[in-house]
Amino acid sequence: MIVQALHEIQHRFHYLPAEELHALSQRLRVPLHRIHEVASFYPLYRLQPPSQVDVKVCRDMACHLRGAEQLRAALTAQGNELGGAPARVVVSGVSCLGQCDYAPAVSINDNVYRGKTEAQLRDLVKLAAANEPLPHQHADRSPLGWKIDPYNGQPRYDAVRRFVEKRDADGIINALKVADLRGMGGAGFRTHLKWSAVRGTPGAPKYVVCNADESEPGTFKDRELLRRTPYLVLEGMILAGLVTGAAKGYVYCRHEYEEEIEVVTEAIVKATAKGFCGENILGSGLSFSLEVFVSPGGYIQGEETALLEAMEDRRGEPRNKPPFPTTGGLFGKPTVINNVETLAWATGIVLNGGEWYRDQGINGAFGMRFVSISGDVKAPGVYEVPFGQTVRDLVFNTAGGMRDGQRLKAIAPSGPSGGFIPARIKRELLPEKFVKERLAPGAADYDVLDLPLDLNTVGAMGGMLGAAFVVYGDRADMVDNALNCVEFYRNESCGKCVPCRIGSEKLVEILIDLRAGRLRRQELGVISELADVMGITSICGLGQVAANPIASVLKYFPEEVEKHLSRQ
Amino acid sequence: MSSPDDLVQADIDGQIVTMPRSMSDLLGQPPITLTIDGKKVEVPRVSVTQDPKGKAVPRLTTLYDAALKVGVQIPILCHREYMNPVAVCRVCSVHVGYENRPAEWRLAPACYRPAEAGMVVATHQTNSRVLSSVKMLTELLMADHPTPCAKHKAHGDCELEVLAGQLGLQQVRLPRAPERRPRDDSSLVIAVDHNACILCDRCVRGCNDIRDNQVIGRMNKGYQARIAFDLDTPMGDSSCVACGECMVSCPTGALVNRSFVRPDPWEKEKPAPGPVSVEELSRNPLFADVAKPFLHWNEGAVVRRHFKKGDIICREGDYGSTAFYIEKGKVSIYLSAPFKHVKGQKNRRAGAKVNWGPLGLIRRFTSTLVRRDEDDREEESKSRYIHIDGPVPLRYDNPVATLDEGEIFGEMTCMSSYPRSATVRAEEDCTVLEILRNVLYILQRGKASRAILDERYRKRSIENHLRSVPIFASLLTEEAQFQEFVNYLRDRVELVRINPGDVIFRQGDPANAFYLIRIGFVKVSQKQPGGESVLAYLGPGKFFGEIGLMSNFPELRAKNAPPGLRTATCAALDHVDLVRIKEEDFRHVLDKFPGVREHLLKIALERLEEDKHTRQRVEKESLGDFLGQGLMNAQSLLVLDLERCTRCDECTKACADAHDGVTRLIREGLRFDKFLVTTSCRSCLDPYCMVGCPVGSIRRRNSREIIIEDWCIGCGKCADNCPYGNINMHPFPTDKKAPDPANPERMIPVVQQKATTCDLCAELDGQPSCVYACPHDAAFRMTGEDLLNKVQRHRHGPVTVEGETRPQG
Repeated sequence: MIVQALHEIQHRFHYLPAEELHALSQRLRVPLHRIHEVASFYPLYRLQPPSQVDVKVCRDMACHLRGAEQLRAALTAQGNELGGAPARVVVSGVSCLGQCDYAPAVSINDNVYRGKTEAQLRDLVKLAAANEPLPHQHADRSPLGWKIDPYNGQPRYDAVRRFVEKRDADGIINALKVADLRGMGGAGFRTHLKWSAVRGTPGAPKYVVCNADESEPGTFKDRELLRRTPYLVLEGMILAGLVTGAAKGYVYCRHEYEEEIEVVTEAIVKATAKGFCGENILGSGLSFSLEVFVSPGGYIQGEETALLEAMEDRRGEPRNKPPFPTTGGLFGKPTVINNVETLAWATGIVLNGGEWYRDQGINGAFGMRFVSISGDVKAPGVYEVPFGQTVRDLVFNTAGGMRDGQRLKAIAPSGPSGGFIPARIKRELLPEKFVKERLAPGAADYDVLDLPLDLNTVGAMGGMLGAAFVVYGDRADMVDNALNCVEFYRNESCGKCVPCRIGSEKLVEILIDLRAGRLRRQELGVISELADVMGITSICGLGQVAANPIASVLKYFPEEVEKHLSRQ
Repeated sequence: MSSPDDLVQADIDGQIVTMPRSMSDLLGQPPITLTIDGKKVEVPRVSVTQDPKGKAVPRLTTLYDAALKVGVQIPILCHREYMNPVAVCRVCSVHVGYENRPAEWRLAPACYRPAEAGMVVATHQTNSRVLSSVKMLTELLMADHPTPCAKHKAHGDCELEVLAGQLGLQQVRLPRAPERRPRDDSSLVIAVDHNACILCDRCVRGCNDIRDNQVIGRMNKGYQARIAFDLDTPMGDSSCVACGECMVSCPTGALVNRSFVRPDPWEKEKPAPGPVSVEELSRNPLFADVAKPFLHWNEGAVVRRHFKKGDIICREGDYGSTAFYIEKGKVSIYLSAPFKHVKGQKNRRAGAKVNWGPLGLIRRFTSTLVRRDEDDREEESKSRYIHIDGPVPLRYDNPVATLDEGEIFGEMTCMSSYPRSATVRAEEDCTVLEILRNVLYILQRGKASRAILDERYRKRSIENHLRSVPIFASLLTEEAQFQEFVNYLRDRVELVRINPGDVIFRQGDPANAFYLIRIGFVKVSQKQPGGESVLAYLGPGKFFGEIGLMSNFPELRAKNAPPGLRTATCAALDHVDLVRIKEEDFRHVLDKFPGVREHLLKIALERLEEDKHTRQRVEKESLGDFLGQGLMNAQSLLVLDLERCTRCDECTKACADAHDGVTRLIREGLRFDKFLVTTSCRSCLDPYCMVGCPVGSIRRRNSREIIIEDWCIGCGKCADNCPYGNINMHPFPTDKKAPDPANPERMIPVVQQKATTCDLCAELDGQPSCVYACPHDAAFRMTGEDLLNKVQRHRHGPVTVEGETRPQG
């Protein structure tokens, strides 16, 4: 109840006044420190009254690449001109708002704006400073003819109907197995294993949680799926619930996706009214209710156990494992946690069969996926593509090619977490097995444009494949961009474990020195050492990958590092 | 279907323990074998540890537990064997391989990871990657750690700095930032340095899980994270009860006793502490049954000090966190503050200064210190004994006593962080063990150590204790009779220890014993129409529970006391030690010693009468908020009419003038409509100021006004406690001098502090100075009831309270 109660107080006062927190503590009979540790943890909450105009400019990856820093400086200057004491306009940075295809994204008094020019933004700031209401920027909700959507915008919940008639849980799990559907949140865990594990674990109630907390820089595909096909996600959740025997499902959604939350909430109301979820589904005697849980914010909430902690009214810090959520998840109960896209695909797979999905893959890979592409390309956006599509095809056909006449310098095929892959990789930097399979004898390097994008191949090359795909042209300074990514992790670290909490900060401090030309060659060694220790001792994925951006630059772009070293 | 987390109960070593079924299933299973650093070790699936309260806690056997068993030392910072592991510092990281499958790529925290059959574990001692990881983690922590921190500086036992030393960490290669975070010096007992904090969560678990005080949490996230009290309130202003658990839990200098940071001026006189090894301690019968691992964890929590004849061991009024055990030698324990109270007198000396204020003449008062035999105030205490934090009470006429080998003193300071109640001086060369709280706690609860302590009380202290309790005074006229009385009770009394907050008995419970307080404070409260109302706080030397046992006496029956039942609820406010006299022994005493019966009956009647008054007042004055502020009880509020008041502050000046320049009122406070109730003593229903007076010198008259007895030692506890800031400390010069703490070369005069509160100094026209001084007729003295009537008259509506929130307590 703490999280919801804080939402409510903030909604009323635009911040959390201390008197209200005292009153809440008495009302809920919860000690003050418990309320404060939650209230001070999540970025959504303000403990001080906000300024009249609260401007936040996204600082991560695609927005950084597209001039967010300069934009922030310009808006800060405008704020200074508007003056006031305390300042009427306060401009600050914010972590990825999930609008990388319209970079740079800016939020003004909690309204998110995308694709606006500096002049348009200045007008909006002026409007807010004059206490005028701010316009909402609506996004398109219509279907785009995707293969994932068997209903093409007209939901019928056929898979739920079919389950209620046949009660074939084994059939559903088998279809997921044949499809080889993997988790689309980035970790790639096999969906059928997760569902069977929860199904086979005793305990009640069980839960299904849809992870819609998409917050990784460069990742925004769930945003489109939630807004255009909410019914597919809900149907996937209902199926997961019916198969595993769960009683309740939550869509855990980042609070910045206001429009998506609205769409999903409407879809739940509709589905419940028609009897596809809720009590006694289609007269079957089975029940499974759905609810949206609005995240109080922070990238770390996308980590599945941190997300559960937030739902349990605590600081969103990842848990030590075991237990895993399949056996001890929400409130210690067996819980399925799946990404938005995974659940949406599950619906199609149950309706069309596992083979249908599996056979969409090309170049020896299985299945399809949604990719969020951003950075220095002409047509950034969300695309439904087959697994196995080459980098060349993705960048030059799907995304329309490089913008501003730049040449491809690097890709980040998993956002910041997998680090940067150069356009060409030297033979000696590739694993032996990969060289044997993919390089022509005598070739000095590997052209990354040839790389088929599927989990196994990218992994074999020594990289990671996620839902983000950020493209860097030849004007990008890789040390600067590595620092930008490490700063993101430092900003978003929950602070629970030492390697991540202090390690990410120290990395940032070292990289600031490097970028400024103050670091000497002999001081480079500690970076790799620190990166290794963070990778093997951090509790969760955030700390484990936080050093990857700079580790990859040290490995693949030594000449750029060289350029920045101190000459003394 | 049975859920895996069904709770079941199992018998572990004679204790019934509740645990999940999955855990109890594992209890019965055969042990498993794994390898740690090449050594085979067999461990049970479930290990049972004890929490600090001695409760058995079952837990999946971890790699850390297994390593301990085979003698492999794994470093830990955020973990203690008796705590639930949180695995946040990661310095216990180990490499986990298996006999029959590939090793894990990442390291695992040994404190958290359950042991599995066939694991092949390598620690930092055998695996270079683990070693370099542990070193790097330590280096990360050291990068932001002030070196040496306060703890390391004082005792060389900061766990982080010790670990860095053990790992041979020569230098920190990362950017250093040991001064980024704030310090918090607001607590009188504990100094907080967030720079030294490593966020191990031990204080958080200590405060919330072990003590259930619920004050400390973590705030902010990521690198900005740190610990906080309540809503990040300064520790001294928070709901912290200064139990000291966080300080004991803290591995570094983030939470330390203030004396570490700011040594008191007497510190130089103290001999340097010598360490006491665990083996040596275990040879002392008092420590013999304390678990050795516990003593190992708490190494440094007991230190030995050698004092030369005449050395001061501790001083009254000082804050501390330790108790003392006399190993060898004799000490004297005494009060050095003059036994006098503050008296305001009209100055009649010729040529005395006269204040020519804007309104003419205010005669100046002079405050002086006088003994009670020189100035007998209304209801002045006739008590012959003063109860202190030691095994003997002191006599009013000669407040010195001697303690011998084997005695413990300073238990209340140690357990509940009260100021030292008396000064202790070495009478001959002596050796003293200074004991920190967690060790004393275990001593008080261990079977053998407790038996020793209790035996000592029965043999040596009970006589003095009974002698000092006024109800037994009638027996003292004939020593033989008193001895008979003491001998009757000596082995019959039960010695009980109550944890803070625990209820001793509830209103309505059947009465079956009478209690004397040895240590600590007991809250006596009664259910009344307006809610629970506090009748009294009783400290050392006081007694309770007589009414329930005497209610069959005709005198009490006439007062409608419920027969054989408790008329009030008594609960421990802090660590309380009680002497329990069973009903039959109590009756025997009353039959045998009619003097005691008579005295007790008188007191019981008085107490019943007082309760009745309180009840009537509460019933009459049902106005919740007004009551909650303690205003309804007020006998004499200073009320300012804000429509007339020009804020000239003459009232405050007059008060200061009347009291040697120390004002006893502050012109701010609660507002009711157009009236401001200034801050001066309100004689509250719940007189929190009385809790914790180490010598019991603050008391209420039957009229509820506060009176401060002669033996006030000036420690300032009551002034801190008063939620309205209405008790002030008034310094008086003494003829003593002491070295200046800032400049030891220089001697500065020692002042004696005495607590003062409004004394209604009657001036001209019989009005207090403050009222007389007001040039605008805006100041009034009135009772709470009068004020209420005035307010209602002015508003023709209900009273609303603005201003501060209701005080806790």
